[in-house]
Amino acid sequence: MKLKTSYIAAAVIAAVAVASPAFLGAYPLNVARSVMTYMALAISWDMLLRSGQISFGIAGLFGLGSYASALAVLRGGMDPFLSIVFAAAFAGVMAFALGFAILRLRAMYFSITTLALMEIFRIVMHNLDDFSGGPEGVVLPEVIFGGNSSALYWLCLGGLLITIGASWFFEKSKMHLALTAIRNDETSARSSGVDIFKYLLIAFVVTSTMQGMMGAIQVQSYGFTTPETAFDGNFTLLPLAMALLGGVHSTIGPMAGAVLLGIASEWLKLQIPYGHLIVYGVIIILVILFMPQGLVGMARRMIRAGREAGAGK
Amino acid sequence: MANKRNAAIVAALITAAVAAILVWRPTVLINGLQSAGLYASIAIPMGLILGIVHIVNLAHGEFLMVAAYATYMLCAATGMDPFLAMAPVAAVTAAFGFVIYKLTIRQALKSPELNQLILTFGIAISLTQVANLLFTSQTRKLSFDYVSASVDIGDLSFGVYKFVYIGIALLMIAGLKLFLTRTTTGKAALAVGQNPKGAAIVGIDVDKTYGLVFALASALVGMMGAVFITSSSIFPAVGSPFTMKSFCLIAMAGIGNIPGILGASVLLGVSENFLKAFRGTRGWADIVFFVLIITVILGRSIKGKKA
Repeated sequence: MKLKTSYIAAAVIAAVAVASPAFLGAYPLNVARSVMTYMALAISWDMLLRSGQISFGIAGLFGLGSYASALAVLRGGMDPFLSIVFAAAFAGVMAFALGFAILRLRAMYFSITTLALMEIFRIVMHNLDDFSGGPEGVVLPEVIFGGNSSALYWLCLGGLLITIGASWFFEKSKMHLALTAIRNDETSARSSGVDIFKYLLIAFVVTSTMQGMMGAIQVQSYGFTTPETAFDGNFTLLPLAMALLGGVHSTIGPMAGAVLLGIASEWLKLQIPYGHLIVYGVIIILVILFMPQGLVGMARRMIRAGREAGAGK
Repeated sequence: MANKRNAAIVAALITAAVAAILVWRPTVLINGLQSAGLYASIAIPMGLILGIVHIVNLAHGEFLMVAAYATYMLCAATGMDPFLAMAPVAAVTAAFGFVIYKLTIRQALKSPELNQLILTFGIAISLTQVANLLFTSQTRKLSFDYVSASVDIGDLSFGVYKFVYIGIALLMIAGLKLFLTRTTTGKAALAVGQNPKGAAIVGIDVDKTYGLVFALASALVGMMGAVFITSSSIFPAVGSPFTMKSFCLIAMAGIGNIPGILGASVLLGVSENFLKAFRGTRGWADIVFFVLIITVILGRSIKGKKA
């Protein structure tokens, strides 16, 4: 019975999300697109976090996807829509290759290496003047779908739904057990026969593909990018804060966090042009110190407490 | 025996490389050593925290930035020389570091390492953004005559001021060595770094030691922040690259090896300036450090696997 309600709720939300271009103006649609992009990144970051690996390199794969897509269109004459698929695959292949080296690393060494990789991608794009346009970046001849705001919205929504689907699959399949086992205790996971490297590699490749795809969607929707916008540290910081606030190790947590923080930051950007990001810093600190389970974790605990109180009567 | 011979070969190769660079492009070596001094003196306090408190403080560069802004305010208001401002700024940042430790990091000591990493990341963002709010992103600079002091040797003319950073790094290394091996507090800190539980059993107040080490490291960063503004302009994000660089240098030297940080800094500084010396590769100088960090981390992980 309960399961049915949550399916109906999900279907209603999805229907509203799909139909919203019909009743929203261009500006709210634009805000929605940025929220959805961050949401997809937050979910993908969390998917890898479920194995206990914390990546600081979201912006790296996002930027890589942006450039792969833009350059495929500009230098290879590829169809814009196809280039998004290409960019996602490219990010996935890169992650596969890199994964062999960096997935041996654990804890802070993994995190720092992902951050360093992101910087390397950025510097490479910055310096390959002839190929990537150097510091000036690349400008595409035209925006995908002629810049139709409804179409752009649906494209972004499509990317988000793929990410949600992947995350949901991770939650419901054997992946969930494997990743949780690795997170809780790697040694005992290994001794119970979990192929740790395989699952880490799958998670890393899948999440990187999502991040590359969102980067490609972003660049095709705006029609230009530069090393500094594609590899902007905010693409690491914001998703991280969103997932933490909402509650990690779940699909719904990062989604809730992204909606709250995404809309709040749009508003704050207008209120405090300089330094509105302080909200993110403070939220990260407060969540880590006082609410490590995030909003969703807290809500779950309250529901459980309420139910137990109800059962006691 | 084999190890000794390998070490001798490496030493000979390094000497030969240095000699070759010295003859061919002396400025590479001079600039390299000067930036090495700066890197090392910023990294050493972070190495102290990592070695004893075992926390990667991702807000390290931001502490430097806070100190730099404090010095800027003080010097701009009173016309004081930054070198004189070192003492008051160090006192302020020591208190600042201590408060940050007590309010945030102390609460997270028991939580997983990743939470600590994210926590200090959050602190870093908050500090940068507070600076953004207070000072906007505009760059600020104070200029001093002595910074442009230069020396001519034959055809070669180069600035000597930045050698002061090497001096500071050497002083820090010597001072910390004395502190950690000769004083009771220092020995206690070393013991806590090696084994907090054991140290607690023999009656060392671990929490107090952590607080003290944090304050001490912040004071050292504060001093560096004061000197830093003499040669660089400052803006809210000025410190963040130094966090990564410092971590890389510490990882290269090995955690707990403070003199090794200077050696690693020389390697980084010289290789960066080597690339900067050529027009074609100038833009790539920044990448040296990131390649270095990944090589070092991967190298260590492979070595660890074999052992």
